[in-house]
Amino acid sequence: MRLADRSFDAIVIGGGHNGLVAACYLAKAGKRVVLLEASDHLGGALATGEISPDYMISTAAHLVEAMPRCIEKELKLARNGLRFAARNVPTIALSRDKRHLILSTRRRDLAALKQWNAHDAAALVAFLARLKTHATALRPFLLGAPPLSGGPSSEAATAFRKLVWRARRLGQPSFEELMHAVPASIGDIVDETFEMPLLRAAFAFEALRGTAEGPYSPGTAFNLIYRRALQLETKGASLPRGGMGALIEALRRSAESFGVAIKTDAAVKRIIVESGVAKGVETVAGDFLHAPMMLSSVDPRTTMLDLVGPACLDAGLAARLAQTSRRGATAKLNLALEGLPSIAGLSPEEYGARLLVVPPLNELDQAFASFKRGELSDEFAMEVTIPSVIDTTLAPVGHHVMSILIQHVPYDVAGGWAGQRDRLLNRVIETLSHYAPDIRARIIAGEMLLPSDIEAKFGLAGGEWHCGEMRPDQLLMFRPAPELAQYRTPLQGLYLCGAGNHPGGISGLAGQLAAKVALSEGRRA
Amino acid sequence: MSEESDIPCVEGTGREEPDETPGFREQPDFERLEASPEVDELFAPASDEPPFSRRVLTTPLHLSVAAESRTNRWTDWNGYTTPEILTTIDDEYRALRYAAALTDISPMVKYRISGRDAASYLDRLVTGNVMRLSVDEVMPVVFCEDRGFVVGDGHLFRLGENEYRLVTEETHLAWLLDSALGFQVHVEDVSAALVALSLQGPHAAAVLNAAGFYDIETIRPYAARWFDLGGMPVYVSRTGATGELGYELWGDPEDAPVLWARLFDKGAEFGLAATGYAVRELARIEAGIPRAGCDYLGAFAAVDLADASTPFELGLASLVDLESGHFTGRDALRRLKQQEPRHLVVSMALDFPEPVQFCAVEREGAIDGTATSIGFSPALGLNLALARLRYRTGPVALSVEVDFREGLSVRRLKIPARLLTEAVIGSPMRHAVPAPLLAEF
Repeated sequence: MRLADRSFDAIVIGGGHNGLVAACYLAKAGKRVVLLEASDHLGGALATGEISPDYMISTAAHLVEAMPRCIEKELKLARNGLRFAARNVPTIALSRDKRHLILSTRRRDLAALKQWNAHDAAALVAFLARLKTHATALRPFLLGAPPLSGGPSSEAATAFRKLVWRARRLGQPSFEELMHAVPASIGDIVDETFEMPLLRAAFAFEALRGTAEGPYSPGTAFNLIYRRALQLETKGASLPRGGMGALIEALRRSAESFGVAIKTDAAVKRIIVESGVAKGVETVAGDFLHAPMMLSSVDPRTTMLDLVGPACLDAGLAARLAQTSRRGATAKLNLALEGLPSIAGLSPEEYGARLLVVPPLNELDQAFASFKRGELSDEFAMEVTIPSVIDTTLAPVGHHVMSILIQHVPYDVAGGWAGQRDRLLNRVIETLSHYAPDIRARIIAGEMLLPSDIEAKFGLAGGEWHCGEMRPDQLLMFRPAPELAQYRTPLQGLYLCGAGNHPGGISGLAGQLAAKVALSEGRRA
Repeated sequence: MSEESDIPCVEGTGREEPDETPGFREQPDFERLEASPEVDELFAPASDEPPFSRRVLTTPLHLSVAAESRTNRWTDWNGYTTPEILTTIDDEYRALRYAAALTDISPMVKYRISGRDAASYLDRLVTGNVMRLSVDEVMPVVFCEDRGFVVGDGHLFRLGENEYRLVTEETHLAWLLDSALGFQVHVEDVSAALVALSLQGPHAAAVLNAAGFYDIETIRPYAARWFDLGGMPVYVSRTGATGELGYELWGDPEDAPVLWARLFDKGAEFGLAATGYAVRELARIEAGIPRAGCDYLGAFAAVDLADASTPFELGLASLVDLESGHFTGRDALRRLKQQEPRHLVVSMALDFPEPVQFCAVEREGAIDGTATSIGFSPALGLNLALARLRYRTGPVALSVEVDFREGLSVRRLKIPARLLTEAVIGSPMRHAVPAPLLAEF
């Protein structure tokens, strides 16, 4: 049966996690939903791929850090096959002198830190407590549509007044502390908090991960608070059994159980707009689908400027969308390894942790400076996981896969990537060899995804992972633009539900909230 | 042409301005040129001059205009040296209302908009329906930003199938380029590459006819046509902000002094006089036309949105077509149309026999608005003003306080003012087709 011959209540464009979540909630509410995905598989940048036969790994993103438990439960993801190999994966900052640092406040870890540096042990407790306070104050923002800003509405002012009140009620001794943290750079914050270079660098990297900012860029301290707030719903990072693709597979099964019609290889060419109302979509194949409700989980900029077109939008909105920043700065290296590389000083159960490889703060700043100039840095900050340690389905027995996020890799490099891809690879392996000297010998196969590869493979503009950089001026009611912050668009019937919308990240919240907005408006109409 | 312009070509593609001339071009009649090339050079920008380095600009007609000045009273208009009054305001006013007045309006900002999507681009830019505009027609336009506040207003000329000219009071290049996203369109500031003359008055058609613009009387209001005047291409539109029969002439800078001389040569018998900025302002106030930057602030110029205006508040509702295609601010204007305006820009008259100055406009003793333009109409013996008043329904009893000086003593007077519902001056000739070639008065 041809797609166009069937009638639907809602069309979801894009089969990433947010699109799937939105489709599930719509179908759960009784809508007949069709989901259109441009490529031949669902999930976008959440995918499990094969490095070489039998070595499976999360191709791009490798940890679920922000998907709320409520989505897991409401969509019955566990019943649909989602298992977690590990929840609440600990974080360990690797040190070249083999005294690795577990970033936690467990009594045992704190005691060890106290032996090392008593000041920092106390500072760490205070810092994490403060971070949690700020994140808790911010949390209600992330669970609903952001406040409407601009115009005669005082929604934003009210929301921020409430935020201040919450911050005080949570025991925040002074409002100044939060006011200080929001515009500050993470570098300044860690410099005044910690003495140990490793601790400073580790938290700086935590705030910078996935952004195109340096440790001393203003606003980066807020990233840490924001990310922590997103994690509050899940209690730490989780590793799905079978890689990130397993999460998508569970979402797919859930969607199908709710009756969502899923069509892959169905790229949307344009959204049909008639006198300010979004009527339907035209696919590249030439099918016309009509529905009173459309949700796009594609990058908001692509949705509005390419699928809808600037002619149907106000010029100011189009210009603001075009100006939103998408600087990809993160590369991914996936390695298939023969045996486990030995990292001196790491106990066997700690291999399953999230390992941070960070240069000292000043070198991290240098790496950012190189990135800005479009050059390859000498040092890279990296986030490493060896998921096969806890998830034996990923690699043959005794063998392992390693997933490495490399920070501050420019989209364009001076002299072109052709000759520099190997240089980057060598530098990364070189750096890793400081911690795991035998890693080079153990590599069987590998794949490197530069920001440009991320763009080509997953359709993420500029190789930027979040469909719009997550930084204070592009978060909350500015995501993706003040007029679009509440998932509605100026076009009646068209909603935005992708990661480029509030709150972003691998949370599925944008999909859930957008579906709620669309359903409530559908009822009103 | 463009290498001489003071304002460089934007979106520089190095593309030459396409020849707007129909037919061939002859050498202009240099015998009539009064200024020598040496003198011209003094005013020509140096070729190695960096863009925008020159702050004090002169129009290509500066020498011709300066030769008419008996007062040496100059003013600034968009950075250009412009005559305030050339002879006396009364003489100039009389020429405008009873004969013909010629003004160099080259300081107006002119944009050339061309390209495949020019029509749809402009239709999205302005609140009116551009699709209905035919070639050689002109429409008054107003354009808004997303929230429905007016960015600026002006006149839109359709020169060709895919070529338009937008003439505005203030510069809007940044907004025009922002709006161009997604359209195959080329936006270029041609202000310096284009001379504009405003010929207004009951004898305007007669002057043009005598100067060789044959069949000028057949041009309808808000229409335009190309003329070949002894090899000079001149585009003539029946437009002007004076409430009078009038035309605006658009030509090449190198032709301008010749054209100017020719108009005076042939127009003298009709009482043609050169006029300055003061009379233009007075005529505008009489006709009740608000000017951007003076009677209202553009949305991007207003620091507080309370100072910005919607088209409805400016009395430009007739230029807003909410039913045709999408334009920037349409959704906002739909909402705003349902609401009461916050303020209104209105015309006001004061029955007082002397020119006065004032600012505050009072309603029942309390300040209720601001007079933004004031002029004394010699023909009516009235003080006229454009004012921005807070919107209120109910009876209107307006007054203004003026300090009236007699010798060394001063009297503070409270003068009643009345609202004008229609323009006090509006010659019926301005609508007449064919335009009268010899007016009776």
